[in-house]
Amino acid sequence: MSWIGSLPFAHALVARQDLPIPAWLFAWGASLVLIVSFFALSAAWRKPRFEREEWRPVGAGISRVLLSRATQVTLGLLGTLLLGVAIYSGLRGTEAPDRNFALTFLFVTTWLGFPFFSALLGDIFRPVNPWRALGRAAGAGFRAIAGQDSGHLSYPEALGRWPAAIGLMAVVWLEVVYGSSGGVAVGLDPHAAAVAAIVYSAYTLAMMGLFGVEKWCQQGEVFSVYFGMFSRLGYFGVRAGKLGRRRPLSATTSWATIPGSAAVVIASIATTSFDGAQEGAFKSAIEKVFNWFVDAGFGLTSSLRLTDTVFMAACFAGVALVYLLGVRGMRSVHGAPSLAKLRVGFAHTLIPIALAYLVAHYFSLFLFQEQAQFTYLLSDPLGTGSTDLFGTASHGIDFNVVSSNTIWYVQVGALVVGHVLGLTLAHDRALAYWPDYRDASRSQYWMLAVMVAFTCFGLYLLSAGNG
Amino acid sequence: MNAKTVRIVAAAAVLVVAIVLLIVLKKDDGGEDKPSDAGKFPTINVNKAGEPVSGIVDLTYNKGDQIQFKVHSEVAGEVHVHGYDLMKDVAAGGTITYDFPATIEGVFEAEMEDQKEQIIQLTVQP
Repeated sequence: MSWIGSLPFAHALVARQDLPIPAWLFAWGASLVLIVSFFALSAAWRKPRFEREEWRPVGAGISRVLLSRATQVTLGLLGTLLLGVAIYSGLRGTEAPDRNFALTFLFVTTWLGFPFFSALLGDIFRPVNPWRALGRAAGAGFRAIAGQDSGHLSYPEALGRWPAAIGLMAVVWLEVVYGSSGGVAVGLDPHAAAVAAIVYSAYTLAMMGLFGVEKWCQQGEVFSVYFGMFSRLGYFGVRAGKLGRRRPLSATTSWATIPGSAAVVIASIATTSFDGAQEGAFKSAIEKVFNWFVDAGFGLTSSLRLTDTVFMAACFAGVALVYLLGVRGMRSVHGAPSLAKLRVGFAHTLIPIALAYLVAHYFSLFLFQEQAQFTYLLSDPLGTGSTDLFGTASHGIDFNVVSSNTIWYVQVGALVVGHVLGLTLAHDRALAYWPDYRDASRSQYWMLAVMVAFTCFGLYLLSAGNG
Repeated sequence: MNAKTVRIVAAAAVLVVAIVLLIVLKKDDGGEDKPSDAGKFPTINVNKAGEPVSGIVDLTYNKGDQIQFKVHSEVAGEVHVHGYDLMKDVAAGGTITYDFPATIEGVFEAEMEDQKEQIIQLTVQP
């Protein structure tokens, strides 16, 4: 007998799921990818163009206002206040995930909103990061009392961004594995989300105390690292206390030099893939493994969590394997640098792919759930029906703001654009690594295969439903 | 790009487009919509645990159709159609009828709200 039918899989946060992309669009999308790739093979430029940011400052006045202490304190307070509201709502509010401020705020507004907007604008999370604000306030307090800076342990450089990569997997695991297999037809319940936020806050502040606020934000703090990765695609950047414009994409080229960075971007692609595939492409495979665990004597909930954990880990391994095969392939081309240098040197080319996956899988969820965020969740954060702060507590979500056709085109468009940007960055990096541009082009057959694999897999996930 | 590359690219593009057309044409002549049986409401039977007796029922409509089904339940509860956000109470041993226009595209669940059991997977195509 199949046990799977007796366990509800639904995420109640999502009242509506996307229709699978139709076969004709899948075919067009995949062909577009191949045509674009053929052109990429004969790409014309022979000198790297993105290795330098071409950073130039914006007007001094704007820079001064945006980066002033008053602005920093205000934004820090705002971030801390919102985190506080989310935790309070989670602890005290309704258990209905779609009516509680906590889940939508933590897992939709911030978790998806920061990647989307950072990729355009630059690092917009840094100024509102509540833990950074609290850590800096604590540091300032220490200085005022002790009259000196607090000392820090030196961060083990070999750890690099691995804590962030593991943390990223943990955040998604919490929502889509732990949460959705709780034996009730909801995702993570708001109370559990609030407890997780408190635990994470304590852990983050402790690590900041040990290694220093900026160091931990750069390498260990999950949200800073994850959102910061996407912000490298964006147009604005801060240098030496000044705000400036830079060539879009160019800041990605210096991102992956810290160990473990490749793991972060691979984890991003892997977790999005898993969430997209668990009720579509992987569904029957998941059922098989699940039944196997049940037959082996595990309880239903444990079996489901174990199964999902195995599949999420397998996604990470699969994505990593494809990337490493590409790297190994490039190594075989005449004039190639060392394997280690290649492995680090091409990791940033996956950032556009990771963003494309996020847009493809969550664009519609974001659009719909943000209507809830800015109407009834803001007016009635606890979801108890007892408050109406802004008079919008009785609003609902209009699922007709975009048609299925529009959603499909955005999904496929995102994957194709991500594919082109990834190829662009990879070609550019190859030009910087290979002395001869012909060898550089030849090496890119391998990265081309990697990108085609990711993009077509992404399309396949969308066509298999429930992305 | 030199002339040879252009020729290769053009040939590849033509090949790809041909394959696509082949796939698209093949998919289309199957005909995608089956006319909904007007007047004949599918009935979903729900047992005492709030579970659908013959598994979660797939109902597919096109936008603009009338969505029509009955739920017969052995247990008292509330039948909730998500997305459309419609709710109806059903008594133990009773039957309720849903009849509403398909105005929102997407995939939706209908569930026995109190038992937290999904009974219908509702798909509305554009």
